[in-house]
Amino acid sequence: MTQSLADIDTRPASQLRKPVWLALVDRGSWLLSPVLVLVLWALVASRGTFSPQLLVSPGDVARAFDDLWHSGELLENLRFSLSRLGIGFALGASSGVLFGVALALSRTVEAYFGPLFQTLRQIPTIALIPMFILLFGVEETFKVLIVTKAVFFPVALATSEGIKGVPNRYFDVARVYRLPLRSLIKDVVFPAAAPTIVTGLRVALTRAWMVLVASELLAADSGLGQMIEMGRQMMRIDVVMVGVIVIGAIGFALDYGLRLLEKRLFRWQNT
Amino acid sequence: MNAFVRRSRGLVLPILLIAAWEYTSRQGAAQAYAFVPLSSIAQGFSQLLASGELLTSIVASLQRTCSGLLIGALAGIVVGAAMSVSTLVERALSPLYHTLRQVPILGLIPLIALWFGSGEGAKVLIVSLAAFFPMVLNAREGFSHVDKRHLEVATVLELTSWQRLIHVQLPAAMPAIITGLLHALAFAWVSSVGSELFLSSGNGLGNMMMNAETGSRMDVVVIGVLCIGLLGYGMNLLFSRLGQYLLRWRGSR
Repeated sequence: MTQSLADIDTRPASQLRKPVWLALVDRGSWLLSPVLVLVLWALVASRGTFSPQLLVSPGDVARAFDDLWHSGELLENLRFSLSRLGIGFALGASSGVLFGVALALSRTVEAYFGPLFQTLRQIPTIALIPMFILLFGVEETFKVLIVTKAVFFPVALATSEGIKGVPNRYFDVARVYRLPLRSLIKDVVFPAAAPTIVTGLRVALTRAWMVLVASELLAADSGLGQMIEMGRQMMRIDVVMVGVIVIGAIGFALDYGLRLLEKRLFRWQNT
Repeated sequence: MNAFVRRSRGLVLPILLIAAWEYTSRQGAAQAYAFVPLSSIAQGFSQLLASGELLTSIVASLQRTCSGLLIGALAGIVVGAAMSVSTLVERALSPLYHTLRQVPILGLIPLIALWFGSGEGAKVLIVSLAAFFPMVLNAREGFSHVDKRHLEVATVLELTSWQRLIHVQLPAAMPAIITGLLHALAFAWVSSVGSELFLSSGNGLGNMMMNAETGSRMDVVVIGVLCIGLLGYGMNLLFSRLGQYLLRWRGSR
């Protein structure tokens, strides 16, 4: 057996194997800057240069979190926000996938709905908030529908692009086997387009979360956004910061969760 | 003829929708309140034009977007380049960057409003932040994925690291930077309108729409939505054309 050139490790000997402690330091250095920022924040807050309406210490934020958690206020607002997100996402994603399939597979649908779809897609969801408020009031309908809108367009687009990206050979084979439309969609089109669709779902979910928080900030009597807005009006910066951190954590969890799902679902792909 | 028919099929649905809107608006006062008749949208448009309110709002929003985009994108390019060039900077900033990135920019508005008030500075800060985050990601990708052969040439020519950055890495990163700029533009525009919706002082399309919402002036809201959509589309088109022009030396595509 001859060894190919690419297999030879050309790194200097000192870099070949890292000692365990160095690897640990390596890992640990990722924590360095966040910890440093926390320490700096605590120091500045304890100096008292800024009034407590402007800057509170990390400890105060933790205490506010604890209070909000134990009083059940945080959980209740979280439940409201997440249920709105869930309902809106379910509506938007299911209609988006259906519409995307139709748009990609049928020339007629494309001809009639395509231009309208491409035009409406350009309008940022945030800009529609005042319009939706006037049309649907400030109640649940408005918040669920704005999430639905935020989810529908990216999912429909990803679905139709994903399906259009399916190689023509697959359709040819399906035609040769005289696959019925149902089976064509279920067994050929969906598996081939699934990675694109799931990526679209992930993007849509993060976007929907942002839009939901924004509309709760603007008009709501419950939900995380409203909790933050109340905190702002009462100059409770600790409550505002708890809200911002929870929003970030949930956004991260949603994105990360779908990324994991993507990895698990498409392990068979060698990308 | 055939091409004409094919084209016009796309118009059927929009025309039907507009007709339905107009029809609903004529079903009594309660409906006309939400679905304003087309004639009053046109009237509102000419009013807004004549009073100059529309133009002032558009200019204010565009100005805010541009200054925020400029600050955020420049900072983003510098930070992204620094992260790809120096491991130290990467180690120091990257965890912080990825943590802060998780918070939706619009969720930060209350915090920024508490710290910086609701004036122009706070809004530009929000827009710059919105432009900054996508820019860093793309700039870093661009600066670190440079053709190995080009870097070897730089080593052979004994370029200093500064020369290498400007003459080798920057041109190689240009496509990624322009992609980043397009993302940053979209985020900047949305967050500019968003910040105007929340922070009600000053001029801007968002302010115009928010005032219209409190006054139940659906016609103004509709005009605002149309303007935001059109301007966003136009800016995106302009920037991608500009990008193609700037990248014409690449020769491909």
